[in-house]
Amino acid sequence: MNQKEALAWIAQIFEESPDRIAISTPRSDVPAWDSLGVLSLMAGLDETFGIVANGAELNRMQSVGDIVTLLQQHGKLPT
Amino acid sequence: MSTSPLVDFGGRRVIVTGASSGIGRAIAIELARQGAGVVISGRHEARLAETAALMPTPPIDIWPLDLANSQGVAEGVIHLAKKHGRFYGLCHAAGLVETRPLSALNAARFRELIEVNVTAGLELAKALTRRDVSTEGEGSIVFLSSIYASVGMPGQITYSATKGAVLAASRSMAIELARRRIRVNTVSPGLVHTPLSDTALARLTDEHLKALEGAHPLGPGSPEEVARVVVFVLSPQNGWMTGADVVVDGGFSAR
Repeated sequence: MNQKEALAWIAQIFEESPDRIAISTPRSDVPAWDSLGVLSLMAGLDETFGIVANGAELNRMQSVGDIVTLLQQHGKLPT
Repeated sequence: MSTSPLVDFGGRRVIVTGASSGIGRAIAIELARQGAGVVISGRHEARLAETAALMPTPPIDIWPLDLANSQGVAEGVIHLAKKHGRFYGLCHAAGLVETRPLSALNAARFRELIEVNVTAGLELAKALTRRDVSTEGEGSIVFLSSIYASVGMPGQITYSATKGAVLAASRSMAIELARRRIRVNTVSPGLVHTPLSDTALARLTDEHLKALEGAHPLGPGSPEEVARVVVFVLSPQNGWMTGADVVVDGGFSAR
């Protein structure tokens, strides 16, 4: 997966148009990134990448870039 | 004047699924304490052995069983009846838990939940109520439902669907089996800390977990508190209760 595909994946998780999701997009600009959105992200990370993250860890994220960093840390995306 | 005990199974045989941990384990222990001959069933043989060691009298059998595929369930129950004698009761406490919002719905995962939480329970009930398996003239089946069968909760769509299915199926089963004096009821717990629920709860934030616990006026429950109610509902002394759902939720649904 490359960065463009990762951003498209994140857009799909939060039911956003891909052109509204960039590395710099803050969480506050993504309406579906609420507590339920965190659960969707958690399920998606587990099913798509086998990454088991906990709620507290995901809740600390403040931007799309934080999700991309997590994918990089787990070797799912080149740094 | 002599008093009769509130609960006494007098050696009647009962199968408990999900007995390798949590509420199922607590039910198996309490049933043994109240004089039942208990078959403990679950996925993990080593953990079933741990349950057996905690029971005041040993289980009459240990039945390792993965309910993700309910094939073979009937043969297993028939074999147990031939080996030990007819069965009085069943408690289907095995279940999968899932927290995910609608946007993350996964149809394959939902089917797994239905298989374990609903289909396997019905297959077990079907086998246990065969005329050559069940005790004549009496019987009792309890399915573990959940407060989420009746009260909505974000993220619990698929789980609550399976628990609602169990509750609805039990009512019809209760009517169908009443003529044979086999009672069918559900017990619906609120938040209970068990290894299964704690795995699911670990995915929540502390804030979310505190809010959930705070929604239970008596706080979260223990497996033993649920087990005592289940065992009473199952017991032969409770002979006129059928088609009922008994809520044990620390006041969660009273709000």
